Amino acid sequence: MLLSMTNVTSYYGKTPILKNFSFGLEEGKCLCVLGRNGVGKTTLMRTIMGLTDRSVGEIVINGHNITGSQTYQRAKMGIGYVPQGRGILAEFTVRENILLGTFARPDGNPEIPEICLRLFPYLKANLDRRAGLLSGGQKQQLAIARALAVGPKVLLLDEPTEGIQPNIVHEIGETLLMLNKEFGITLLLTEQHIKVARRLGDGFLMIDNGRVVATGAIDDLDTALIQKHLTI
Amino acid sequence: MAAGSFFGSFDPSAFINALILGISIASIWLIAALGLTIIYGTAGVINMAHGEFIMLGAYSSYMLQNYFGLPFLLCVPAAFVIVAAVGLVLERGLIRYLYKRPLDTLLATFGVSLVLMQGVRLIFGSDPKYLAVPSIFTSNFQLGFVNISAFRVIVLAITIAAVVALWALFYRTRFGVQVRAVMQDKEMAASFGINSDRVYMLTFALGAGLAGLAGSLFGVLNIVLPTMGMGYVVQAFLVVVVGGGTLIGSVVAGGATGELQSIFAYFTNDTFARFVLYVLIVVFLRVRPQGLFAPSATRR
Repeated sequence: MLLSMTNVTSYYGKTPILKNFSFGLEEGKCLCVLGRNGVGKTTLMRTIMGLTDRSVGEIVINGHNITGSQTYQRAKMGIGYVPQGRGILAEFTVRENILLGTFARPDGNPEIPEICLRLFPYLKANLDRRAGLLSGGQKQQLAIARALAVGPKVLLLDEPTEGIQPNIVHEIGETLLMLNKEFGITLLLTEQHIKVARRLGDGFLMIDNGRVVATGAIDDLDTALIQKHLTI
Repeated sequence: MAAGSFFGSFDPSAFINALILGISIASIWLIAALGLTIIYGTAGVINMAHGEFIMLGAYSSYMLQNYFGLPFLLCVPAAFVIVAAVGLVLERGLIRYLYKRPLDTLLATFGVSLVLMQGVRLIFGSDPKYLAVPSIFTSNFQLGFVNISAFRVIVLAITIAAVVALWALFYRTRFGVQVRAVMQDKEMAASFGINSDRVYMLTFALGAGLAGLAGSLFGVLNIVLPTMGMGYVVQAFLVVVVGGGTLIGSVVAGGATGELQSIFAYFTNDTFARFVLYVLIVVFLRVRPQGLFAPSATRR
């Protein structure tokens, strides 16, 4: 397993959000985390990054137990993070935002990796533009480019298509597919669009009330499961 | 000069002198505020011990000069290093446990200021000390009809050099990218491998060091006393608050307040000038509480 969680309970203050959470993600695969709003999908991502108040259990990446590690140390283990809301630094330029990712590179290379600009020509043409001026879709591209600058083994993508117009949703989906299938980058993503999940995912993880309620290959994601756990 | 008699007795050369004096005042206020700006701007810490860091800088120079015979020009960078080291120890030993508790930080640094003041009083006594400088520094020279103090020109030059160096550090180095990233969004910075603890530690030490550098200069402009920091810290806070906690803001605020004080003093007197300036600052902050150049991003 490239990334695994075993019996992890994660807290905000004294309130547990994830409860006895366990899953594993194999190298080169794409796992889609599904569930209604507020069930703990974002908390799962933040727990892996060490951004919750406290967590117990075991989180392992690439053979290293990172449970007690600080966020910046986890990032250096090869985790590229695309948070919900994108987390773009509005006062930075596009170039500075991408450069931010290079601080987590294990080789310490401060250059922007070529792949970041090749995948997103708009960013390449606007490196000195203030990031706060970009559209939602462009910001999402920037967030992905920044995560790629880490040189990640695994990309954590929290709702990468949220709030983005449909044609850009497709574009981002195809980019992620390419990263997974052609570049072999492992993906863990939370996704509301079932179509995107089916197109990208090898497997799924259904969450409800902070617990894993169903898991399997993406082809096993049937209408009954969707109706039970995703429809309101 | 009374305000009422201004139009009848306006003296252009005296007025230009006042403007130049304003630049000098601005440079003093600005260099006193630089360290505070960096510490507040980066970590959000309102460092009530900043005045005492300035005082420590002056005493460091005094100690190096009188006990080790160091020439004044070497005392200035040495004061920077010594006070930066004190800042580093303070940050590691106390401040880092209080970053999420601004009120506690305020009280703790106020307590530290008292400890430092009393500590220096115990070691060096309460009598005034003096820093010796080469005689060329204490001379005045005439430029046209303007009389300029050589040491004030040196203070101005060091202030400009410090501002340029800080700008280059923050906007032209990878460390600067780290500092600005932490300022904007600590979580995102950490998510991309930046150790915000280390950034806070280094910026606190840098801010303290700058206060030390300012103190070694102020020790020449004035006598060195354990209480001298209090005289500068009010102005330093004004510059930081009016500027909005950013480097460019402090430069503009320092320049504007220094010049205004000097111009008001030319038309009235020093006391009234300070009164008018403080009233204007209160009115300004009522209209624009975030200051001149506040960062648009919310600190996270």
